[in-house]
Order: sequence, then C-alpha cells, then structure tokens
Amino acid sequence: MKVLKIFVLGIYLIAAILPFYWVLVTSLKGPKEIYTFPIKYFPSKVTFESYRQLFSFANFGIYFRNSLLVSLSAALGAMVISILAGYALSRHRNKRFKNGILLAFYFTQMIPPFILMTPLFTMLSKFQMIDKLSTLFILYVTMVIAFSSIMSKSFFDNIPISLEEAAYIDGCNTMQVLFKIVFPLSLPGMAAIFSFSFVNIWNELFLAVMFIMSDEKRTIPVALNSFISKAGISWDIMSAGLVVALLPTMIVFAFAQKYIVSGLTKGAVKG
Amino acid sequence: MEKRYSLKLFYMLIPAFLLLILFTYIPIFRGSVMAFQYYNMFNLTNVHFNGFENFKAIIFDKNFKFWKILLNTAIWVFVSLLFQFTLGFILALLMRKPFKGRGLYSALVFYPWAVSGFAIGLVWSWMFNGQFGIVNDLLRRIGLISQNIGFLSDPKFAMISVIIANIWYGVPFFAIMLLAALQSIPQELYEAAEIDGATGFQKLFKITIPYIKPTIISTTLLRTMWIMNFPDIIYAMTRGGPANSTNILATHLINKVYQFYDYGQGAALGLMIMGILFIYALFYLKISASKEVTL
Repeated sequence: MKVLKIFVLGIYLIAAILPFYWVLVTSLKGPKEIYTFPIKYFPSKVTFESYRQLFSFANFGIYFRNSLLVSLSAALGAMVISILAGYALSRHRNKRFKNGILLAFYFTQMIPPFILMTPLFTMLSKFQMIDKLSTLFILYVTMVIAFSSIMSKSFFDNIPISLEEAAYIDGCNTMQVLFKIVFPLSLPGMAAIFSFSFVNIWNELFLAVMFIMSDEKRTIPVALNSFISKAGISWDIMSAGLVVALLPTMIVFAFAQKYIVSGLTKGAVKG
Repeated sequence: MEKRYSLKLFYMLIPAFLLLILFTYIPIFRGSVMAFQYYNMFNLTNVHFNGFENFKAIIFDKNFKFWKILLNTAIWVFVSLLFQFTLGFILALLMRKPFKGRGLYSALVFYPWAVSGFAIGLVWSWMFNGQFGIVNDLLRRIGLISQNIGFLSDPKFAMISVIIANIWYGVPFFAIMLLAALQSIPQELYEAAEIDGATGFQKLFKITIPYIKPTIISTTLLRTMWIMNFPDIIYAMTRGGPANSTNILATHLINKVYQFYDYGQGAALGLMIMGILFIYALFYLKISASKEVTL
C-alpha cells in the first residue's frame, strides 16, 4: 500500500515537472540539435545561444522590464486598495450595506472578461488611453481588485476587533490603530494578496494584446504571441522565452505557497 | 464617534468601488448594448442598432457551425473538469497525511497553478509537435504507435490534446482546495468509524466526501465557469482549429474580436456565455440543493 502511494505520488511529480523540464532542455540545446533525430532528453552540449538571441535580437529585456514594472506596481496597488476595502468590509457594522457591497464584488467574478474588452477599448480610446503601460496598470488593478478585497476581508475577519478597541481606549487615533496594530497582524494576508495578484497579472495576455500596439511597450505574453508567425515558430528562441515567462511566477509560488494556499482557500477561488 | 467611524470605513471602500464601476460595471453595460448593435471596427461610421441580427448571424453561421461550437464547449468543459477534479482529489487524498518533504513536494506538483495558461499552451504545443514532439517520441519508444501523430493538425486528435494540457493545468487547483478541506475534517470521526469496523471505502464515501461536499460543490461550480471563460490554452495551441475542431464559445468570441473586428457579434457571444453560465449555476445549485455552499 505504501509502495503504491509513493509510486502514484511519483507519477504526479513526473507529470508536473516534465513539461517544464522539456522546455528548459529545449532552450539549452543548440538550434540544430532541437530538430535532429533521435530526440535527446538531455542536451549533448549546454548552450545559452537561444537566450543570447532572445535578449539581443528579440528585445526580450524590454518586454521583461515592462512585465515586471506593470506586475509589481499593479500588484502593489491592488494590495493597498484591497486592504482598505477589505478592512472596511470586515469592520463595518451595517450588515445590509456590507452584504450589498460583497455581492457587487462577487458579481464581477462571474462576468466573462471578454465581454468587457471591446467596450473598454472604445471607451479608453476616447480618452487617448490606448497603448500605454499606465492603462494596463489600471486595468490590471481592476482585474484583481474584487477577489483581493474579498480575500483581504476574510483575513481581517480573523483579527479580533477587541485589540483595536483596547488601543482606542488607550488613546490611539485611527491611523495609529491601523499602522501599529492592524497592518502588522495582517502581513501574511498582504503577502497572499500581493503574490496572488502578481501571478495573475504577470500571466495576462488578452488585455495586453488589445491595449498595447508599440513594440517597446509589449509585455512578455504579448511578445510570445508575436513569436507565432505564419512561417511557424522557431522553438529555440520560443523555449528560452517560455522559460523566462514561467520562472518568475514559479519562484513567487515556491516562496509564497503557504500564503497563496491560505488566501485561495479563504477567498474560495482563483478569478 | 460611531458615525465618524462608519464614514471613515466608507471612504476606504471608494477606491476599489470606483475602479469596479468605471472599468467593469460601465463596460458590462455598454457591452450588453453593443450586442444589439452593428459595430464593426472597419466600419465605425455606420454603428447602429440591429436588434437580434448579431445573435442570428452567430447561430446560422455557415463557416462556424454553432451546434459544433456548443458541442466543443461542452466537451472541453466537462471532460477537463471531470479529470481535473478526479486527479486533483486523488492527489489531495495522497498528500493528506504529512510525509517527509511534503512542503517541497507540494511546491513541485502545485506550481502549474501559478504559471501562465498561454505559455503553458505553447509548451504543450511543442510537446505535441508532430515531428519533434516528446509525446510522439515517448509513445513510439513504448511501442504504442509506429508513426508520428499530428496531434494538433489532425482534427481527430486536436481536442484530446488541448484537453490534456488543460487537465494538467487544473489538477493543482483542485488538489490545493480539496487538501485544505480534507485537513479540516475532525480526526475523531475516523476513529469512531474504525471502532465500528468501517472499511477504507466506507470511510471515504460516508465521512470524507459528505464532509467536504460544500467545497466540492463550490469548487466544481466555479471551476466550470472559469474553464468556460478560459481560452488561453486553446488559443496558444490551435486558435480553435484545425477545421474548427477545438473552437469553443470563448475562442470563437476572441476570433470575432481580434480577427474580424466584429465587436457587435463578439458582445453577443459574451452575453450568450453569461446566460449559459447563469442558467447552469442556478441549475447546479438547485440539483445539489445545498444551502451551505460558501463562496
């Protein structure tokens, strides 16, 4: 029984790792070796040629910078806004008001994102907001804000209000209570919201394709999308690009796994 | 004091709410109007209301047979969901008891949750490559096939291929959620059952599953909606082809918008998806008749 369990867990492990292993190996092979038989499961000579090409000819450094800039800033923005909203939702005493707002947040989670895209495009083009990274920033904060707020509310629900009441009695004002008592206690929640938002924003494709036109403003998913041409895909450069696209969120997940998992289960579902 | 406190809390809600009104609620309203308009980016001077023309055009489209797209959508959603859930549940059951290195193990098997669906679609399309793909190579090595299969170029295999990629992508979500639910079951229940001589299967069906039923219902429901709205993998692997064999409602919508710039029909498809999901959710909750579903 125990052997069977280890065996099955091993199969899951191999299945989970294989795709990433394969794309990593491809990216480290020389372009010739990728297209030769028999297929090698390990590069005969490790070369970083595809990465060199990716960053020199394909301008991937700029796309990486754009993705990092937008993801970090939007995740940070979403974290701040959702902490405010989550705190208010958790502490507000009017039940009907609270439930109404929560419902309005939940409803946005059911909307297919694509129905929003074209109206957003026509709306934002009226205000000359097309082809700007700042527009992506705003849209991405909006994209994750409802779920983040719900998540943050459930974190605050677990912090007893009596702590704050005691601080008020001791003469603290609202700001002091928030910064000295509430926020330090909600650090794990903030980590969860930040990493959850970062992952979702880093991975977003369709909004970025729609709203970004200039080459120098592309994010990584848009750049990968543009690598797919009618002539086919050159898999050496594509593989290197995929590794660069996948690694950051894998690292974030490895470090923040504990927080993400508790955040996911508290907020119920990934949007 | 009390009033001022409430007011402060109200102010704290404004930024989040303002964003949602401006960039979600107003666009969804405008989008719903667009569904009943002729609205093509190539012909913007001629935007006008046309009643149900967009819906009719989609349903009676000769190039993209609507019943076929609906069927594809149903297969895509339910086959993916069935395997994601079953495999995720088995993984959660196996990981339930602590073992040495469980933290590292979970980081290594759960990571697909965190990566981009589009990028993963591209990784899988390389794996399913008809000439140099690892899947063909492995199948040949173990002797299951003698000739390479064009997984993504053959309409017979394309749907299976994109679904396999989607299953791979979705297993961690169910494993994470169900594992958390499993860990909330009080151990005493099992101890009592063991005293009464319950078998492993009885414990699974009489204790475990009933206890986590609310989680099962809410995760499968929300995941259905999510898979239906999730074209990233298909878009990366086949874009709905070959010969429409992997075209689902969501990819159809994307192609309408990104290829044909027909915003009116795109919006109409969006409304259809919303309607289907709404009816489905009502139906699903009614059948499972569970009031304890916690969102």
